[in-house]
Amino acid sequence: MNAIVTEPLQPSAPWVSLATSSAAWAAADPALLDSMLTSMALIRAFEEKVLELAGQGLVHGPAHSAVGQEGGAVGSVLAMRGSDQINGSHRAHHQFLAKALHYVAPQGLASSAPFGDDVRTIADRTMSEILGLARGYCKGRGGSMHLRWAESGNLGTNAIVGGGVPAAAGAAWAHKRAGTGDVAFTYFGDGAVNIGSVLETMNLAAAWKLPLCFFIENNRYAVSTTVEEATAEPRLSSRGLAFGIPAWKVDGMDPLAVYLATDAAVKAMRAGEGPTIIEVDVYRYFHQNGPLPGSAFGYRTKDEEKAWRARDPIDRVAAEMAARQLIGEDQVASLRARAVALMDEIAAGLIEQHDGKRRIVPSLWPSPDFRDFGVRGDLSELQDVRYVEQEEFTGEITESRFVDVVADVMERRMRENDGIVVMGEDVHRLKGGTNGATRGLSTIFPDRVLGTPIAENAFVGLAGGIAMDGRYVPVVEFMYPDFMWVAADQVFNQIGKARHMFGGDGEVPLVLRTKVAMGTGYGSQHSMDPAGIFATAPGWRIVAASTPYDYVGLMNSALRCKDPVLVLEHVDLYNSKGPAPVGDLDYFIPLGKAKRVRTGQHLTVLTYLAMVRPVLDAVEKLGVDADVIDLRSLDRAGIDWDLIEQSIDKTGNVLIVEQGASGTSYGGWLAAEIQNRCFDMLDQPVQRVHGGEASPSISKVLEAAAFAGPDDVEAGLRLAMAGQGRPLA
Amino acid sequence: MPHIIVMPALSAGMEEATIARWLKSVGNMVAAGEVIAEIETDKATMELEAERAGTIGRIIAAEGTTVALNAPIALLLAKGEEAGDLSVDAGEGAEDRQASVQQTPEQPDSAQKQVPAAAGVSAGAVAHRRSPASPLARRLAQEKGVEIESLNGSGPRGRVVRVDIEAAAAARQEPARASAVDPAPSPVPTRARQAAPVDQPHDEIPLTNIRKVIARRLTEAKSTIPHFYLEVDCEIDALLDLRETLNLQGEGQYKLSVNDFVIKAAALALRQVPEANRAWTDDAILQFHNVDVSVAVATDGGLITPIVEQADRAGLASISAEVKALAARARDGLLQPAEYQGGSFTISNLGMFGVKAFSAIINPPQSCILAVGAAERRPVVRGDVCVPATVMSCTLSVDHRAVDGAVGARYLAAFKALIEQPLRLML
Repeated sequence: MNAIVTEPLQPSAPWVSLATSSAAWAAADPALLDSMLTSMALIRAFEEKVLELAGQGLVHGPAHSAVGQEGGAVGSVLAMRGSDQINGSHRAHHQFLAKALHYVAPQGLASSAPFGDDVRTIADRTMSEILGLARGYCKGRGGSMHLRWAESGNLGTNAIVGGGVPAAAGAAWAHKRAGTGDVAFTYFGDGAVNIGSVLETMNLAAAWKLPLCFFIENNRYAVSTTVEEATAEPRLSSRGLAFGIPAWKVDGMDPLAVYLATDAAVKAMRAGEGPTIIEVDVYRYFHQNGPLPGSAFGYRTKDEEKAWRARDPIDRVAAEMAARQLIGEDQVASLRARAVALMDEIAAGLIEQHDGKRRIVPSLWPSPDFRDFGVRGDLSELQDVRYVEQEEFTGEITESRFVDVVADVMERRMRENDGIVVMGEDVHRLKGGTNGATRGLSTIFPDRVLGTPIAENAFVGLAGGIAMDGRYVPVVEFMYPDFMWVAADQVFNQIGKARHMFGGDGEVPLVLRTKVAMGTGYGSQHSMDPAGIFATAPGWRIVAASTPYDYVGLMNSALRCKDPVLVLEHVDLYNSKGPAPVGDLDYFIPLGKAKRVRTGQHLTVLTYLAMVRPVLDAVEKLGVDADVIDLRSLDRAGIDWDLIEQSIDKTGNVLIVEQGASGTSYGGWLAAEIQNRCFDMLDQPVQRVHGGEASPSISKVLEAAAFAGPDDVEAGLRLAMAGQGRPLA
Repeated sequence: MPHIIVMPALSAGMEEATIARWLKSVGNMVAAGEVIAEIETDKATMELEAERAGTIGRIIAAEGTTVALNAPIALLLAKGEEAGDLSVDAGEGAEDRQASVQQTPEQPDSAQKQVPAAAGVSAGAVAHRRSPASPLARRLAQEKGVEIESLNGSGPRGRVVRVDIEAAAAARQEPARASAVDPAPSPVPTRARQAAPVDQPHDEIPLTNIRKVIARRLTEAKSTIPHFYLEVDCEIDALLDLRETLNLQGEGQYKLSVNDFVIKAAALALRQVPEANRAWTDDAILQFHNVDVSVAVATDGGLITPIVEQADRAGLASISAEVKALAARARDGLLQPAEYQGGSFTISNLGMFGVKAFSAIINPPQSCILAVGAAERRPVVRGDVCVPATVMSCTLSVDHRAVDGAVGARYLAAFKALIEQPLRLML
């Protein structure tokens, strides 16, 4: 008798291949096939025109063509409805066009009908965008790789491989929450299957049963690396088995098969069964980008290309339709000719002959002064709010624990606005997460306080997708600030850049809370102050309250703001007591307004968060005649230059005090900016107090030495006073 | 690279000095430590030693030229170098350029020591030091019309900062304010050269450094210190008898003067009334621990005040010997800065010229100066009888900021008692 017994285990979700038979083609709706054919013909002609322009040097940057891959995109999009949403990656012209065309012609396109103005406009604005022109969908900002037309369900394509996948999960989350039955598709290639964003999001979407289809266009090559080189399981739809996601593997050169698989997936998702995976085998006829075939670069053979071209999806649909006598050869030729003519005409409107060379019509370029437009919003959403500083507050003020106020103001806002949703690791348990900052929320709002898997990149990216959707306001907690590096792509490349990259007018209302934990012994990877890094990302706003009172007002402004806002908290403050309002949790503190917390003549001390108190103590102890300013808003747009310049003009001397390490420091850029703006006001270089070079260590002694404490603040004050010829005794 | 010899700091507060004489000329070889020039400072002439060996490549500051601190004065060439190897305008840190001075006096304060030099000098012209100054200081200097080059910075590495500009502007304001009250025009200490308003026949006597310093310091003292004056008559017959006795016993080893007794008495009185042994500063009143008496000595160049240190502890004979030596050195211009800088109290005696009484100007930062008149026979009333006695009038000028009237009076009473009962000087 064997000591060991093995039994095969069954995955919880099915994994199937799907192919058509002649019966399926025979049964297919003629209008569907005609629409498929027309859509693919338009996309093929469009892509060929883009390659032609690229060959003439008129496309600045890469032109990733999808010639040969039209079957996957068109077959899937036709199974969607207008309110469903998609996003994609660097190779996405075909998906974008398919979705846009289906949006303007929900009943389908007819091969025999002339192309309407809608079709013409889509082709014109898409080509304009790819050329970087002002009338493109993103005003020329996005180009080939960042195509967004939200109205048509195109959420925006992405140049980071797999980078758009978490955001699509956010759209799916919003659909599920809203109960509309709408679904989201995220398109990506074989190269993206192995990246964390995709796999983390598969897990998260499955755990939360989101109506999201992971649509894999397996074109066999990540640039020149084959799928077999990149993974031991080249049947990429197999990934679903790991996460409990039903998956289909389909021949992408058969658009009807793609349609049928997608139809099944969409039905399952609309029924609330959670995410799906569809893998389509397709082939790009050309290299990664540009007009040359892949064989010219030696990573594949001409024979291979010839074999795939023989299975061309457009020819396939035309042939199947011809077999059913739905279309004749000259009708197909005419469709092709009209599509090519349309694209010639569109291009002719964008290109002119000049000195014997072809060039972009100069008037179509965006104005250079559009460069930074819309990096962030104009804060008009905060125009009519009630701003009340503590000094003006007429209600009762009491001493409260900081962390209690953090939870209280969130509860108040969640009661008032049922669009607010809180997510993060353990935020729903432990009586309010690891520090009590979400205390009581999950009891009152069980479906709006979401404990996440440990996957910061996926869940913050998902929140970004929710924010861009606009129906809900996500409040994300990073348990420690250092986790921003884990989630760096989503935090900085996606959330931080989305508004600007897609044209400057989209909104990304997201709040990210995190606590600085220097002093708790959590060591090198849990002890940073992230303000300096976030300040490098202009799309982000940053607030840091030093008192419970200011926290309430700043959090209210952050939740109202249409830009992503980082709300910094600090463990030292959590358990400290400070002035807090009684009852009234509804006032606001302006974004971009610092607060002078002490008035003096000889030195301007700029600080924030948990350093405000130690600075005030040291200033009093040493008897320094200093202006102390609590910055409160830390992003570049939020620096209160009026107050700071007024103070420096008076004192002539500046000391910036922060707690964290010098490498990721916040004060460096601020010092540079002050020296630029206030040079003639300065009596000495801008002086700074900050921690050591390396991130703090776990050892208590080394940790204390690594971040700036009261002794460092005193030394800084002495330095700044000696530097102006008023040395302290 | 040729070595630049710069004007070293020879005394505290020194801003410039004059090349009195070059002892070496271009082409001369010099050894390390060899004296190459004589430098005339505020009050003394000192020898400048070469810091290293070499050949004099160029004399940048000619004899008679007044040169700012740390400004280049000559080039010293190593073997194979030429004077053209270095443009003098290219300034460098001063540390490696300090030439050493024989009997280097007390080090100047650290801020001054650290002033880096960067100077361009055109031969024969007065050199200006380019000072590091904060942007704010530069702006304020422009607004207030203060010459930054004239200031010693109190910031790091001698950087001129706002407080320096404000102090300079205030110092200029004070005399100006005084002149608004006083109909008599008082001289304003300014570096701008004033055109001589005189058209009658005259000779122009160039101002020596000593003359300039005397003018500046006394103007500053008289215009900024609130003086008040206390006068007392001392009968000195007993003192004269004692002096005669002692001098006879000394058998020529010493010859005590009345002034030696005055110094000793003034010093002991300061021990008895230490509140008069003080100095005023803007931040605090300084209470001196030692009694160091400055004694005014007239020289051809002007007034100088060498110091009898701890005069309260010295015997009359040693005071006498020290004063003689100091006075001789002062007349020969050989005093070292340490010998005349400092002191806590000054005595000025014009009795030998028959002056009956006078009021002296305080020698800042000290608080008191005692002006001693001639000893003369005067009628003195004792009871109802008028008797002849030798009387000496002494006037104490006092800085009211540091010393009040009653303190001054107590001091003068103590002084008078010691002078009139001179045996107490021996206690």
